[in-house]
Amino acid sequence: MRSAFAFIFASMVILIGGLRTADADNSSGFLQVTGPCKLEFPRDHAPHPGFRNEWWYYTGNLKSETGRHFGYQLTFFRHQLTPFGGSAGWPDPPSAWRSRQIYIGHAAVSDISAKRHLQAEKVGREGLEGLGIGGWVQYGQDVTLFLPGWSAVIFPDSHKIAVAGDDFAFQLELKPAKPPVKHGISGYSRKGSTPERASCYYSFSRLETSGSITVAGKSIPVKGESWMDHEFSTAPLEPGTVGWDWFSIQLADRSEFMIFLLRREDGGLNTASSGTYIDSLGVLRHLDRGYFDVRVLDTWRSKASGAVYPSGWQIKIPLLGIEVDVASNLPDQEMQTSASTGVTYWEGSVSVKGVKGGSPIEGQGYVELTGYAGPFSALK
Amino acid sequence: MFFLRLFRWFSLRNLRTHWGRALVVLLGIALGAAVFTSVRLAVHASLSSFVRSMDFFAGTAQKVLVRPGGYLPEGVLPVLLGHPAVKDFSPLLTTYVRRSDVPGDSFLMIGIDPLLDQAFRKWRISGDRDQATERWLDLIREPYTLILTEPLARELQIASGARLKLDHTRNSAEFRVAGILMPEGLALVEGGRVALTDIATFQEFTGLYGLLDRIDLTFKPKATPQDIEDLARKLPAELELRSPSAARDSGTAMIRAYQLNLSVLSFASLFVGMFLVYSLVALNVAARRRELAVLRSLGASPRTLFMLFLCEGMLFGAGGWMLAIPLSSLLVKYLLHGVSQTISTLFVRVQVEGLVLSPLEIAISLGVTLLTAAGAALQPAREAMGVPPKEAMEISQAGVRRGHSVRRLALWALGCILAGIPLSLLPGVAGVPLPGYLAILLLFIGFALLSPWMLERLGQRLAPLLRRYAGIPAYLAGRYLRDCGARTAISVGALITAVALFTALVVMIHSFRHTVELWVRQTVSGDLFVTTKMGQVNRFRFAIPETIVAGLKQMDVGADYVQSRRYQMNYGDFPYEFEAMGMETFLSHGGFVWLKGDPQETRLRLTQGEGVLISEVFATRTGLGIGDVFRTQIEGSSIELPVVGIIRDYRTDGGVVFYSWKHFKERFHDPQWSGVRFFFKDRASEVGGRVSALRNAIIQRWGDALDMVSGKDLRESVLRIFDETFAITTVLLLIALAVAALGITTTLTVMVLERSRQLSTLYAVGGSFRQIRAMIFWEASFLVAAGEVAGLACGFILSYLLVYVINRQSFGWTFLYVVDWGALAFSLPLIILTALAAAVPAVRMVFRAPPAALLRER
Repeated sequence: MRSAFAFIFASMVILIGGLRTADADNSSGFLQVTGPCKLEFPRDHAPHPGFRNEWWYYTGNLKSETGRHFGYQLTFFRHQLTPFGGSAGWPDPPSAWRSRQIYIGHAAVSDISAKRHLQAEKVGREGLEGLGIGGWVQYGQDVTLFLPGWSAVIFPDSHKIAVAGDDFAFQLELKPAKPPVKHGISGYSRKGSTPERASCYYSFSRLETSGSITVAGKSIPVKGESWMDHEFSTAPLEPGTVGWDWFSIQLADRSEFMIFLLRREDGGLNTASSGTYIDSLGVLRHLDRGYFDVRVLDTWRSKASGAVYPSGWQIKIPLLGIEVDVASNLPDQEMQTSASTGVTYWEGSVSVKGVKGGSPIEGQGYVELTGYAGPFSALK
Repeated sequence: MFFLRLFRWFSLRNLRTHWGRALVVLLGIALGAAVFTSVRLAVHASLSSFVRSMDFFAGTAQKVLVRPGGYLPEGVLPVLLGHPAVKDFSPLLTTYVRRSDVPGDSFLMIGIDPLLDQAFRKWRISGDRDQATERWLDLIREPYTLILTEPLARELQIASGARLKLDHTRNSAEFRVAGILMPEGLALVEGGRVALTDIATFQEFTGLYGLLDRIDLTFKPKATPQDIEDLARKLPAELELRSPSAARDSGTAMIRAYQLNLSVLSFASLFVGMFLVYSLVALNVAARRRELAVLRSLGASPRTLFMLFLCEGMLFGAGGWMLAIPLSSLLVKYLLHGVSQTISTLFVRVQVEGLVLSPLEIAISLGVTLLTAAGAALQPAREAMGVPPKEAMEISQAGVRRGHSVRRLALWALGCILAGIPLSLLPGVAGVPLPGYLAILLLFIGFALLSPWMLERLGQRLAPLLRRYAGIPAYLAGRYLRDCGARTAISVGALITAVALFTALVVMIHSFRHTVELWVRQTVSGDLFVTTKMGQVNRFRFAIPETIVAGLKQMDVGADYVQSRRYQMNYGDFPYEFEAMGMETFLSHGGFVWLKGDPQETRLRLTQGEGVLISEVFATRTGLGIGDVFRTQIEGSSIELPVVGIIRDYRTDGGVVFYSWKHFKERFHDPQWSGVRFFFKDRASEVGGRVSALRNAIIQRWGDALDMVSGKDLRESVLRIFDETFAITTVLLLIALAVAALGITTTLTVMVLERSRQLSTLYAVGGSFRQIRAMIFWEASFLVAAGEVAGLACGFILSYLLVYVINRQSFGWTFLYVVDWGALAFSLPLIILTALAAAVPAVRMVFRAPPAALLRER
């Protein structure tokens, strides 16, 4: 049963990298991302029913007044089970439980100073009007995503996220410091060799964040910066892809870059791997595969899953004069999602140090590593 | 080591020499142990199946939210969602369904939200992960899909991907089998007769929109009992937070009570076998006194002799138990089905998928058998301790010795029997009638101890008469019994026990059946019973649709109707049924089997809705009596009514509360109809034809939306189930009687063997073979007659204990005490004949060795 979620996860999580295999493709009837996404805001902060998978993803590095360092992540996944079509084909009248979509949530807090990583997960179906098990609502321009005890409210000019887990909780307000960044070609982000192996993908690359994190029963005021991704697609991953490495880096000069590497079975990278650089004024530059180089410097073995993850990297973007080392702030930031997706992956806070344009530079960010604790079967 | 060698030389060799007797005793013990073991294993299989099923079903839930007597509105979910103590929740619905197109048994359909349920119950779909996931998602994705267990798919002859049409109380619909469940967790509930479907499909199929059976809850680790109380306060008052183990615990308690009763009954065979062990070990002690004296003179301590005979007894126990293994394996197969069916009929629904070899049950069976055999050998072994070394030099001490004063034994016997009186008045311990069982054990022991005195008196009184009317052999037989003392009498104890058991069970079963017949005639009265489709298997949870009710009311067929609504409820942890019924009409046609309360006054109060009527079981279990206030919550109505009468009722689970339907509707809410029964007003002409006509009219109008059974068929089926239930009891009884017959054979054989010298002397002084054999036969007749008379007396006392103590404390019900004289008059002579037939081998053994040779040995 638990492993069942791996499928959903694989087909959803992978939006970052383009997603399930052709032989597992069952996308008939769903909308396909094949060209310009024509993203408009705040309209496109809301879900996009008709596309099979969608996710809203928040990560950030925050500090308390005393300098205690926390990382956090909150992800809402939407998975559409059948193509959009109202209540067509449903019994009449349908049960309030009848639904075409399910929502999954993953959340974590990395208490870097205390060297601990706390995590939680939620799952629920959309459709129960008024019952609030999972889904989204829109009031005017405000979009709310929710699961029991969890929410992300996207206002036109800010975001509010809240998570109440067993071991931790957080309530944060995030204000974009820059406008949304549309990756790829105006948000059309290729993840494979054919046009439909793509997603619509945009980010808020820097969100000024404040609020509180509760750990060990104590609420701690925090401030810092976050990153937000929103992506939707229908296409599965390209055959031969075993996982991906995703980097979101915020440099101290207020520039940011995002890189995703789609790893192939043969050890190479899919040519669709790419990235985006955003300068301090919010001007972006697409980074094709040939523009950057990522080398693994260190690894970490998880005692829980036995997986060996990279834990240190050197990233070079010669065109921009960037050469930085990226290191995890806490080795064990592995997500064990047995109660929802069943997929084990690494999602963690990292620190950055190196040079940019010949000058020393520091930064922070988040890295996501999938496919290390055994390949997704859906990817094979 | 020395003891083992001595045991081999002294005891094993002797047993090998007299292997025939040893074999009979072993067979007796084996039969007893086989019955005991197989009964325990059979009930244990049902118990473990039930517990496992309930545990898998309960999953990890810490509390279960229910609405007593009805369905939960799913609108309560936001309260749970918003409460800080709640960690996870999972709504759940269940019902029994059956395949429409192919006849077959119903099975359980469970409706869950597969997403929310994952934190509670374990279930997986077979096949590789991608396929399994797709199939699992199909439940949510595609309306009318389900997942079956492998055994159910096999039984329904359906494969994954195929379609099947299912019937439910309110609907029939075609489902696609999305996958097959792996044999684990939820797939093992109800012996694997389970189908899983999405909660949306379940509600659409059953029409239960917005309703749930229950919501399972887990709480956050830091949630305190106060937090949970806070949650309970925030929930609507009509809802109840229950322990998820409540249903399991009450079911387990009922099955355990049944197990104990059957164990005690099956122990009777072992108890009877105990007499066999006693008989043979006592013979060996008596016949080998000289050898014992020699052993003593060679330095063996009294303790060594004691241990020799105790071990001999235990050897019979161990050997009998080993021999019981193949017998048990045969018997248990027969019992497995019968026991599970009885448990399903009387207590809780169980599906036994196979035998579970519980090490504990096997250890209990071995332990009880060994203890029983050792207990039987204890007294002869103690006698062996008393053999003085000087007897080695004496010649004529062998033979029958009177160990105890007959009068002293009689006093002990009286003490045992009388001790049963206060014991039987004591309440059970933790719901188990231990004092009652102790009273029964003392009763058996008492009558066994009384038998020497009885035989002595019998011999004294009869001997002169027999001399006159039956000749010298009968006279000598009477004299012998008068003088033979405790040992022969103890053997009579085997027969007393068996006959007592027989008599008591005949009386009990007859009383039970008689009362059930009366109940069936009065309370299960009516000419046609109508309920929703699959209403019974779903425990009448669904109401008959209003349109059909309106149509039924208007049917002009010259019949009165009694509508009813049955609610499955809990009073504390005790499950019972609340039935609102058309009381006035019912009482004008049928009635109740009254136990307490003035029937006339009670009828009046019932029809005026002034109070409830409770069954004896309900009264016993809850402690409520006439005048007490019965309180409950049904479908949101808070009910508070006085108890106006107590009646006998024997429907499943036992506990029932009756109230007037009309007044329920007026005072609380419309309970709707879950069933209705028709009574034809004109009883003069033939009713059967009119019942058929009414049934056909209903079918014509509403198709198969309703289940119907004629009153006559229903009453017959109740009695048939009753008879089937007691089939196991009868088998156990027959085995006890068979062991008793073996006891007679052993006793008489022992008597012949140990008196071969005496008999040869009789022959030498002029007695003919025929006369001596006649004498033995007379002895056998006396033993059997004494055993039967005493057994009969013991049996009547026992029957009283069974009806008024054991049944009441075990199951909460009693019956009208009625003796089936006909059955006794027919069976007791048969038992005499069987017992006399068992004496034949002993009679034939007389003079197997030439008398002269025996006398020469002397």
